[in-house]
Amino acid sequence: MSVEEIFQSIVHFRRGEIAALVQAEIDARTDASVILEQGLIAAMGAVGGEFSAGRLFVPEMLRAAETMKIGLEVLRPLLVEADITPRGTVVVGTVKGDLHDIGKNLVAMMLEGAGFAVVDLGVDVDPKAFVDAAAESQAQLVAMSALLTTTMPVMAECIGRFKDAGSRARIIVGGAPVNQDYAIKISADGYSSDAPGAVELAKRLVRAPGREAAAS
Amino acid sequence: MRVHCQILSEDERQKIHAESIKILEQIGVKFLSQRALEIMHDNGAKIDRDKRIAKIPAELVEQALKTAPKSFVLGARDRARDVALPRSDSGYVLDLGGVFTRDFRSGERRYATLQDNDDAMRIFDEMAFGSVVWPHSIAEGETPHSDAIRLILSTFQHSSLHVQDEFSEPREVPYVIEAMAAILGSEDAVRERKLYSVAYCTLAPLVHEGGMCDAYLDLIEFEAPILIFPMPCTGATGPCSLFSNIAMGNAEALSSLVLFQMARPGTPLIFGDASGSTDFASGGFLEGSPEMVLMTAARGEMARFYGLPNTQAGCLTDAQEPGAQAVMEKLLTTLPLVLGGVDLVQGPGALQTSGMLCLEQIVVDDEIAGLCKRVRDGIDLSDAKNLFDDIAEVGPGGHFLMQDSTLAACRSDEFFVPKLSNRNTFERWSDLGRPDLYSNARRRVEEILAAPQRNPLPDDVVGKLDEIARRADDELK
Repeated sequence: MSVEEIFQSIVHFRRGEIAALVQAEIDARTDASVILEQGLIAAMGAVGGEFSAGRLFVPEMLRAAETMKIGLEVLRPLLVEADITPRGTVVVGTVKGDLHDIGKNLVAMMLEGAGFAVVDLGVDVDPKAFVDAAAESQAQLVAMSALLTTTMPVMAECIGRFKDAGSRARIIVGGAPVNQDYAIKISADGYSSDAPGAVELAKRLVRAPGREAAAS
Repeated sequence: MRVHCQILSEDERQKIHAESIKILEQIGVKFLSQRALEIMHDNGAKIDRDKRIAKIPAELVEQALKTAPKSFVLGARDRARDVALPRSDSGYVLDLGGVFTRDFRSGERRYATLQDNDDAMRIFDEMAFGSVVWPHSIAEGETPHSDAIRLILSTFQHSSLHVQDEFSEPREVPYVIEAMAAILGSEDAVRERKLYSVAYCTLAPLVHEGGMCDAYLDLIEFEAPILIFPMPCTGATGPCSLFSNIAMGNAEALSSLVLFQMARPGTPLIFGDASGSTDFASGGFLEGSPEMVLMTAARGEMARFYGLPNTQAGCLTDAQEPGAQAVMEKLLTTLPLVLGGVDLVQGPGALQTSGMLCLEQIVVDDEIAGLCKRVRDGIDLSDAKNLFDDIAEVGPGGHFLMQDSTLAACRSDEFFVPKLSNRNTFERWSDLGRPDLYSNARRRVEEILAAPQRNPLPDDVVGKLDEIARRADDELK
């Protein structure tokens, strides 16, 4: 047994074996942070690289993320004990009036795979619910999507609510009719045309303090 | 005989139908509209009110199939462009569902405007195979709450073809009815002529939206036809086999058929499909793929299995720009549908997975339609085409260029004459400036837009439409 095997079980998305592998490492008194960093997070980093290069497909990447999550659940009590926290918290949802959520789901799953805690509000989310959830979960980031031209303006409304509430959460947007110009226009902090881009954006924005324009 | 392409055997159509019924009876369909849920309940579906799911028995499907009209006419402002369904040849639906336009001058992608919509309508009006138009989606109009109404009214003004669109809420319905009454002279004529139909996309997997559903339950009182248009994406919003994705899309379509027939028996329905496949590298929806056209062609066969008119998504591409990939994918996703005999192919005009209008692509797609029709028409082996006597007259070693039959046939439908493709010698082609498909198409676009609009509406009707639009601006805020 080794951390390398944990890494390999994620990279090859063998979800049936990961729990036992992580437990064995815990029993062997390997440091929880080593299992987390060198096993789980390093593996998802490798998976993300393969995915971004187009060599790994979405269903494979999602299964790898699911495998990682199973391992993380086994490890979680030790992480809590050692006060090791997620990379950040992200609130996700489709805006009021929009029920199209396949892209949003993909982003949520990939964010989890990248080590974020995700609060998924689902579809047809009221602007107030976004603001409340971000406050309650102390999220650093909010990711909202719209597929319809009729629901795009709701994203601007949501951003207005966050400003009114004095929230420091940063907001990223996406969806087929949205583009970078629109994101700038509505004062979003970022835009991505796909899920891997959204994860990169999330990593960048959560790392960097303060608000910045979508163009940066 | 005409060339025919068949995707499913009779047994396979039965098998897909049986699977669809199994999905409807055992899994059921979710209705977000309370009105729709009550209609399903009142007609004998098993309802789970908490989950809003209706399990639909086979008998309800059978009953709905009995009352759904097997033929009807999609009226056009120009009666000569009426579309009688079913058709012997495939017609085409201009696909302006996306929010972007490729700017004709700069070639850059930008958000679409009302002017882009109107230009596209005028171009499609001149196309030989144009049958039905979808208005453009406008993301950022000046009057966001009434943009949908303004678009429909402007489309009526700039197109003489049948208009198909969608409503997102019931309060939009009266303005469009009033506009059609202004064009046709009375509300009775609105019912009779059917200038307007709507597309109804179920939300895969197995969900019916609320607002759109309610709007359509209002609209069917005016006998407007509904295009049922499921879009399950195999591997993402649909199961990851073509077989089950077709069965599930068919189940969504049958559940829509049941709803609208129970709500108003005799409602004219077009049994369509716009399935996609998944780009597994990104998770994106693909519609220029061979799998897409296999599914929509199969669903076209299911429509005929039920005896219903149909529109199938085709003539589509995932290419970002006009060019070789666009032409290749559009031809691939048109030919099987035309050879399968679908009534209407929905897709021309768009690039980027139906996300971006390209004016010159409308003209290129009409050329593709012409090519496909020629293949579909096949080889005429009638006595009139048996030229044995000519062969005898010319004899070994002669030529046929001077025969009467050659003169008569050279401009007939037997020989396709391209409008855009290059057939010149190298020298002639060089002298012409080495034109390609798209440069020829661009010239045609310029010609059409420089000429007066074909079949304009009378000034007083345009004035009435303007007044309705202004009222919608005020009232829909």
